[in-house]
Amino acid sequence: MHRVSKPSISLRPTLLLLAPIALALLAACTPDNAQSTFGTAGPIAEDQANLFKFIFWIAVVVFVLVEGAIIYASIRYRQRSDSDKRPHQTHGNTRLEITWTIIPAIILIAVAVPTLSQIWGQQNGVPTDQGEVVGVEAIGHQWWFEFRYPDNEIITANELHIPVNRPVAFKLNSQDVIHSFWVPKIAGKVDMVPLNDNFIWMIGTEPGVFYGQCAEFCGIAHAHMRFRVIVDTEEDYQAWLKGMHTAPDAPTPGSPEASGQQLFAVNCSSCHTNNSTAPGSYAQEISTQQARWNGWLEDTENASIVSAPNLTHFGDRLTLGAGLKDLNHDSLVGWITEPSSVKIGTRMQQHAAVYDTPDGRAKLSASEISDIATYLLSLKPGTGAAAEPVDDGGAGTAIDAEAVFITNCATCHSTGADKVVGPGLAGIGERASGRVDGMSADEYIEQSIREPGEFIVPTYPAVMVSWSKLGDDTIDALVTYLKTLK
Amino acid sequence: MWTFLGSDVMFFGAFIATYLVYRGRSLNGPYPSEILNIPVTSVSTFVLLMSSLAMVLGLYYLREGQKNKATLWILVVVLLGSVFMGFQFVEFREFAHEGLTPRTNIFGTTFFILTGIHGAHVTIGVIWMAFLAYSSHRGKLRADNSLDLEIAGLYWHFVDIVWIVIFTVIYLISANDGPPPGAELLHG
Amino acid sequence: MTTTSLTFPRLFPRPKGYAGIWSWIGTVDHKRIGTLYGVTAFIWFLVGGIEALLMRIQLAKAENTFVDPETFNQLFTMHGTTMVFLVIMPLSAAFFNWLIPLQIGARDVAFPRLNAMSFWVFLAGSLIINASWITGNAPNGGWFGYAPYSGVTFNPGMGMTYWIVGLNILGVASIAAGLNFIVTILNMRAPGMSMFKMPVFTWMTLVTSILLVLAMPILAVAGIQLQTDRVYGTNFFNSLGGGDPVMWQHIFWLFGHPEVYILILPAMGIVSEVLPTFSRKPLFGYPFVVFAGVVIGFMGWFVWSHHMFTVGLGPAANSAFAISTMLIGVPTGIKIFNWIGTMWRGNIRLNTAMLFSISFVAMFTIGGLSGVMHAAPTADAQQQDTYFVVAHFHYVLVGGSLLGIFSGIYYWWPKFTGWYLNEKLGIANWALMFIGFNLQFAPLHWVGLDGMPRRIYTYAENMGWEGTNLAASIGGFILGFGVLVFMVNVLVSRMQRKVAPADPWDGRTLEWATSSPPPPHDFDEIPQVEYRDDFWFKKYPETIAEYYGHGDDDPAVPSGAQLDEAVDEESVPVISGGAYGAEATESEHGHGKIHLPDQSYYPFILSIGLAIFGIAFLTDGLVLFAGAPFFIWGLLGWSMEPVNDPEPETP
Repeated sequence: MHRVSKPSISLRPTLLLLAPIALALLAACTPDNAQSTFGTAGPIAEDQANLFKFIFWIAVVVFVLVEGAIIYASIRYRQRSDSDKRPHQTHGNTRLEITWTIIPAIILIAVAVPTLSQIWGQQNGVPTDQGEVVGVEAIGHQWWFEFRYPDNEIITANELHIPVNRPVAFKLNSQDVIHSFWVPKIAGKVDMVPLNDNFIWMIGTEPGVFYGQCAEFCGIAHAHMRFRVIVDTEEDYQAWLKGMHTAPDAPTPGSPEASGQQLFAVNCSSCHTNNSTAPGSYAQEISTQQARWNGWLEDTENASIVSAPNLTHFGDRLTLGAGLKDLNHDSLVGWITEPSSVKIGTRMQQHAAVYDTPDGRAKLSASEISDIATYLLSLKPGTGAAAEPVDDGGAGTAIDAEAVFITNCATCHSTGADKVVGPGLAGIGERASGRVDGMSADEYIEQSIREPGEFIVPTYPAVMVSWSKLGDDTIDALVTYLKTLK
Repeated sequence: MWTFLGSDVMFFGAFIATYLVYRGRSLNGPYPSEILNIPVTSVSTFVLLMSSLAMVLGLYYLREGQKNKATLWILVVVLLGSVFMGFQFVEFREFAHEGLTPRTNIFGTTFFILTGIHGAHVTIGVIWMAFLAYSSHRGKLRADNSLDLEIAGLYWHFVDIVWIVIFTVIYLISANDGPPPGAELLHG
Repeated sequence: MTTTSLTFPRLFPRPKGYAGIWSWIGTVDHKRIGTLYGVTAFIWFLVGGIEALLMRIQLAKAENTFVDPETFNQLFTMHGTTMVFLVIMPLSAAFFNWLIPLQIGARDVAFPRLNAMSFWVFLAGSLIINASWITGNAPNGGWFGYAPYSGVTFNPGMGMTYWIVGLNILGVASIAAGLNFIVTILNMRAPGMSMFKMPVFTWMTLVTSILLVLAMPILAVAGIQLQTDRVYGTNFFNSLGGGDPVMWQHIFWLFGHPEVYILILPAMGIVSEVLPTFSRKPLFGYPFVVFAGVVIGFMGWFVWSHHMFTVGLGPAANSAFAISTMLIGVPTGIKIFNWIGTMWRGNIRLNTAMLFSISFVAMFTIGGLSGVMHAAPTADAQQQDTYFVVAHFHYVLVGGSLLGIFSGIYYWWPKFTGWYLNEKLGIANWALMFIGFNLQFAPLHWVGLDGMPRRIYTYAENMGWEGTNLAASIGGFILGFGVLVFMVNVLVSRMQRKVAPADPWDGRTLEWATSSPPPPHDFDEIPQVEYRDDFWFKKYPETIAEYYGHGDDDPAVPSGAQLDEAVDEESVPVISGGAYGAEATESEHGHGKIHLPDQSYYPFILSIGLAIFGIAFLTDGLVLFAGAPFFIWGLLGWSMEPVNDPEPETP
């Protein structure tokens, strides 16, 4: 018989096999980590962690027995010296086979029973007996999260407020690709599939800020698609709801905020709405968001508008760029200057006209960017003194319609014949009179400002929002101004 | 060959399953009920079934050593297969004319790809049969290597059976499919 | 398929002889094709490994900028695709090719030219997929290619087209190979080898081949549907047209889960050969191991939705798939217990092949246990798409498949080459791979439970993920170093040329009955089989009674007379292509001349045609016309080419 000499192996395998065990046990030691699935703050995640631990300890027992048997056999029955001993040529043992078929089966039944009861407990609709249910629609976008509260007509992004100890029922959807909605400390994930609603519910039992992250690969900035869940006390939550319907105070004329407001209107407002506080603005923002999206779908290469996070009361937020950075003036300036340095691939830099430069940085001076940042950080629920966000000009003061146009309309409309997003408005006075039967030019233009969705000219994207908030006087002045354009 | 057919079963199975899952989910017209022409397709189905009969006869005469009859019947298979393809071609053109293309809706997508893949199988079969008919005519295909024809026949019958399934699933089951509930809302 | 004796004009002379590049291109010898598979797959293994290490460097610390996110997405897509389709599957195919004819006592596979075509088509597909790196269009949508991200709206580049075209070409190769091995195993076994006397590796090959033949068409369908969506604007996965992206996941995983067993069953077969040999005992509970393998192959079709527990299928579907998934744990457990039973009371030689096999059992057990943890859908809601899952399937595919394959390499290397691999280097190779592997993937369980999602190219500093990721990265390099040691070992083996005899390990199955390396015709005489582990029992006839004596469940218990006969023959096999076995087999090869199929270059030409068809989808439809001549030339030439050129008449 030909034989190879074999270096005999001592106890090394034993020690090596202990390494994974030790590491596995260490795993239980990090419940403080922000996205640890242990150290939970809600019953759903807690039950899921408990089920895991239950299976884990069964697995540890099986692991020790099986690996122990492997190591024992390897050492106990290893060949000593060069003995050619031929062990008994057994063919097997039917009784043993049956035993080790039945034992795993029993173990798996023991695992299956709590598993099934938990599936039906967690995935079969939100419980109605644990407090008033909060309804939220969460929508995934490349690469940020949108949150809508249909009952409260609130729309926000990337930071979700929920009241403590009340069930929150989510309807999950996606506007583009598949994302996954996951707050490890409060509940396991459910995917967000385009045009295919999913549901999940959760209860946060501790007030605080919790981390969430998209868990389904969704493209270049998948790693940067995060969000925060802020579990508020009932009091704070009610205050937050109220605040979301309170407009911010108007900036003092001449202040950096005022300058920032104007710059924002020109450069940012065609994608970012930042004033969804008034009644009716909720429905409008939803249709606008859809229109922006449809515009992008039509020409994914060159679209200058894309759906974007709603920035209402942005100054109250904790983070920037979908949970990427703490929000402060510096980080915001950095973001506006070059968004992709914070979140690579972001559509903002790709599509917005203000970034249409050779090096891709914003076409704005440092002080302009600083003003926009200052303005955005000032967006908080107002003290209630001045509810009107945009100047009403003050009684008796003549309204500077041209300034209003530059601030509010020039992002999308030129005063010449060029198409920007919307049509160029030169000669609009003449064209308008014949557009719709029974409407004068004045009526048509005013209608187009107040209810743009009514008469979108076919070749243009239906993205324009209602500008009724400008106020009657301002709109009148604007119509008069527009008719002067030749 | 049997194992290959097993593989092909999975291939068609997946397409047919896709069709069934997506059945009745088209969000815009034309819907199956508006466009399918069952009488015409029944004729083409009959043609294809007859080709299977011809196939059996061809194999029988080949084994009997009657070269000319065998060649004749194999040619009939080729002919009937071509007629079927002709029907399909006309049907595709008709549908495209009425505004149903693979892009139109999910019915168009699943219909064209499924029947198109089947059509490709028939085409391969026709070419294969033509080749065998030529061999038979030249006397290279004889009773002693009739296995060649038997294998080709197996393939041919398989493609036939698949068509019966497709015919049932698309034409008979879905004949009355219209828009799904709620689709009209999408289009106002 | 067609033996019609029409003639087709030859452009090149039919290759003859056994040397030179043309003899490799035209080869139809299953052993050479096996070698081609093995070498090619090992090169792709190095490529896939480098891709993995680049990712590990990127993730070694928080906020790293070693590679940009687009590259990272390409890396993990290509790493997964490469390791699954271009490494583990073809390495398994290398073993199938080398061993199946040897193990069943045949001279070649059923369709040698189809076998050659499988390899060339595989090579073409693998080159096309990897050509994407050179053209800068590497696929970036994940090896799972989830719609709609893999669709043209969100992924307008050519990357996913490369992926689809490449996979569909590879699918052709796999289906052809699967067909071939099913037919070979069913029809070409040596006389006397009933199904339940086949080696377990042969059994697992049969199950794997059936899975291949049934599963690969589904991937083809998925690919075709995605491709028509991308190119022709169909609506299979387009929500706006009435399609549903979840459909892609159903189709993909309906292929994908059987695929998992395609990856692991061959390794299970290898281990089922190595453990008995080095324990010097027969496989414990042979029928149960075989049956468990068949059951796993069958049940693999009913668990696909456990990849989709978070897709929102509802509690009923999740419950059903949770139960079916857990059920698969039972046959898997049976296998593990039987492997331990094989070692129990054995006389275990702890050499490299054995250490790899023992490690396989140990590591696969871990992978199985973590598998049960995410078979529970609610627990899986926390684990899905995190590094916990990454850790799980690497324990199955690296700790399982790859260690099993390395075990097979060390075990059969003397048979393949005629030389031993160096044992000291082998132990070092094993130890480095084993330690590196555990250091790399054990911490990933932990970081997964800590909430780190998969497929993120970077992570923030405050998440507490840095230590574990650094450990994993270090482990990755140790593992890589282990592979390097293997390559050194191969070189050392070639230089030392320590000659291996035909039966170096005191083996049990038929491949050890012929010389190392085997002659082109494998066996001088086709062996006559009487027992399981026939070679062993003919070597040691006195042990027949031990094995079959109390075989209450085995119909093949030989009578006393038969036993006597066997003992009388005392047929201690004469090695080295010698006259092993009984008196059989004069019938077919009565003239003393063994007919092997002649070499043929048509499979190669056909594959060139297919490859050009693939390139047409990547470039311009007109290129199809460039491929057609090759394809038709290959097809017609092949179908009219006789298996053997007519022998010159000998009077």
